[in-house]
This record gives sequence, structure tokens and C-alpha cells, in this order.
Amino acid sequence: MSTTRERKIMEGIVTGDRQVIKEFYTNNYPYIRKYIIQNSGDETDAEDVFQDAIIMMYQKLKTGTLEVHSSLRTYFYAICKNIWRNRLRRNKKFVGSSDMVNAEEIDVSLLEEIEQKEREQLYQRYFLKLSHTCRELLTMVFEGKTMREISDMTEYSSGYARKKKFDCKKSLMDMIEKDSAYHELTMIKKDIF
Amino acid sequence: MERTQELFEKIEGYLANTLSKEEGIAFRKELAVNKELQVEVEKHRELHDALSDTDTLAFAEKIRKIRKEMIQEEADTTATSGFRFSSFLKIAASLVLIISLGTLLWQVSRHDSPQDLYTAYYVPYPVEDVTRGVDQKESDEFQKKYREKKYEEVSVVLEKISEDTMDERHRLYLGNSYLNIGREQDALLQFQQISDTSKYYEHASWFRALTYLKLEDTEASALILQKIITYNGIYAFNAKELLEKLEKK
Repeated sequence: MSTTRERKIMEGIVTGDRQVIKEFYTNNYPYIRKYIIQNSGDETDAEDVFQDAIIMMYQKLKTGTLEVHSSLRTYFYAICKNIWRNRLRRNKKFVGSSDMVNAEEIDVSLLEEIEQKEREQLYQRYFLKLSHTCRELLTMVFEGKTMREISDMTEYSSGYARKKKFDCKKSLMDMIEKDSAYHELTMIKKDIF
Repeated sequence: MERTQELFEKIEGYLANTLSKEEGIAFRKELAVNKELQVEVEKHRELHDALSDTDTLAFAEKIRKIRKEMIQEEADTTATSGFRFSSFLKIAASLVLIISLGTLLWQVSRHDSPQDLYTAYYVPYPVEDVTRGVDQKESDEFQKKYREKKYEEVSVVLEKISEDTMDERHRLYLGNSYLNIGREQDALLQFQQISDTSKYYEHASWFRALTYLKLEDTEASALILQKIITYNGIYAFNAKELLEKLEKK
């Protein structure tokens, strides 16, 4: 279904090609920005939604699970619109206006996936807000390195590395829990399971 | 549930299956009856699952940097030539900071406990115009209170800003306010949220170093000071001087 141009865009995204990603932004961000601002959002919302959607597309491309039945652009816009509608619904601002809903946007399996990815992306977003030192240390932890290996690689004493790991992880969890979206997503998860 | 290093290490050990046989039995027994512990274990599990995908994390960071570059390029293209008033304000603020620090530092030499060093080197982040995320009236109000050193009241105003609209300057002011009312851990949390790609990162690093100094964690403070020296920005000179004093202790 994909054209040669679309295949090049997908390849550029999965390999992290800066030029392709910049062009993708330039060609598609104005439409998403306009859509979100017209539907109770602001510039920051538009930036967040666009970034989350492109990350979701990257994950699907990487795992070979991206199924585009129409054009890549239509598919991407559907992800963005569904993410935004979910957020509005959680914030009780979604009123189901007919302007916002049309056939191409509704995809139940995509909606379920968005809910699941939203939690992951919330964790990832706050992880990226940590200091460079904390990110480096926690990355090693999440990669499964032992404290001894971490201590050797960072030249921290073992006691300091353990304390620093605790401080960084606690900061991260505190930040996440202060975000109202975390509580809303937790409620959704409870409803589902 | 109070979060302690011991609790985290037990949970991590349980999830990685590295607890000893006895520890494992005791932990599972506690887990079976303690609902708070069950929730906490689930949070750790989810965090590990979400953050072990390092490819996606690297991609997310790349996207963020690319977008920042694009916004900067757009701003450079549209910026008018000549000296902009906002730039003038920022330079003036930096000069005030340097002069204030210089005036204080000559008094320091004989007083070098971490607390004394903190008192000698700490100068609140200077006020610039900050309006995003707060309305003009609130902005005027918190800036006035900040200038008057009414830090408790500043923190109340800034805590009302939602996470989505909180920008990096707000975090610097809020962190500084917390520092002045004895909420050092909260201050650290604010400074840590300023990204290393931000133009405010050097300021945030300096205040993080001072916060650790106030908490008497000189090892953590020294590590940050070393990075500030390597970065060689406006705090490099003071960071070098402070680090030398810490190393003499």
C-alpha cells in the first residue's frame, strides 16, 4: 500500500534520520497543531501529542507491527487525533462533537494500544527530565547491570552508587505521581483489569 | 508507604530474583498481606518495563532535540537584528549574579563548613519577567514576593501552576524558594527536572550543587561542580573556587 516516498519516510523514522524527521514535522505539524488548538488544546498539547504519536509509530516500525491501510499521513493523523481525544476524555473535556469524529479516526485496536502506550510514554517523558547523571545511572540499572558493574563503570563507590540510584529512582517516581495524567491512567487500568 | 533505600533494594531484589532464599520467603510473606507493598512493587515493575526499552528512549530524546533545533532555527530566522531587550535583561541578570557572588566571596576564606560555604556562595536566582503559565497579575505578584524574599508565599503561587505549563524558569524560582524555606529535597526535584539541553541547565546545576552542599552531601556537590567547570560557563569560576575549598576539607 505504501508509496516509495512513504517507505523512505518510514525508513528515515526507524533509523532516526534527522532530515527525514525534520521534513515530516514541517509537513505535518501545522495540521495537527491546528486540529488540537481548535479542539480545546494549546501549543504545548500539540507538541506533546505529535511527539508521542511519532514515538508510537517508531515503536511499531521497529517491531514490524505497523499496518497502514490508507496513506501514512492518514494513519499518523489518526494516531494523533485518537491520542488527543483520549486525553480530552480523561480530562472530561471531550464532548463528542461531530467535527472531531469521523470514520477514518475510529480504530478500536489502536485506541486500546494508545491507552497502554500512554503510561509508558509518561514514564519515559519524566525519565528524560532527570539529570544526565541520573539518566545514565538508571539506564544501567534498567539494562540489568549489577551494582558492582555500575560502580566500576561510573567510578562511584558502591555505597554512593546505591544511594544515588535510590535518589534518582525516588525523584522519578515522585515526579510521575505528581502528574494528574498518571492518576487518570491508573484509574483506567483499574477499570480495564 | 515511606520510600527508603532499603525498601527499594528489597523490591528490586525480589523482581530480579536475587534475594537470598530466606529474604525471598520473608518478602513474599509480607507481600501477600501488605496492600501498600503490592502497589509499590507493581509501580517498580511497570517502571522497569517501560524504561528498559532503551531504543525508544534514545529515539524520544532524539526527537526532542530535533524539535528544539527546529524551534531555535525558526526563532533565529524571525528574530529581528540588533540587540533585543530580553537579551539585555538576561545579560543584566547574569551580571547582577556575578557581582553579588563576587562581593560575598571575599568574606569566606576562613569559614568553610558545608553550611558556611553554602551561605557564602548562595545568591537567589535573579528575577526576570516570567509570564508563561501564570496570568500577568499572578506573575507580578510572585515576582514582587520573590524580590521581597517572601519565599513561602512564592512557593504557594508557583505550586498552583500545572505541570504542563510549568516552564524551566518557574522551576528555578520554585527551587530557590524551597531552598530558602528548608525544603531541600523539593528544591532538588525542581532543579533535576531542568533538562541538560536547556539554556537554564547551567543555572540548575549550580543550584543543585548548592542544595547538596546545604544537605552536607559534599560528594554529590563536588561531582556537579566538576561538570560545571568542564562546561566553562558563567558559574565555572565560582564552581572551581568552591570545589577547591571542598577538596581542602
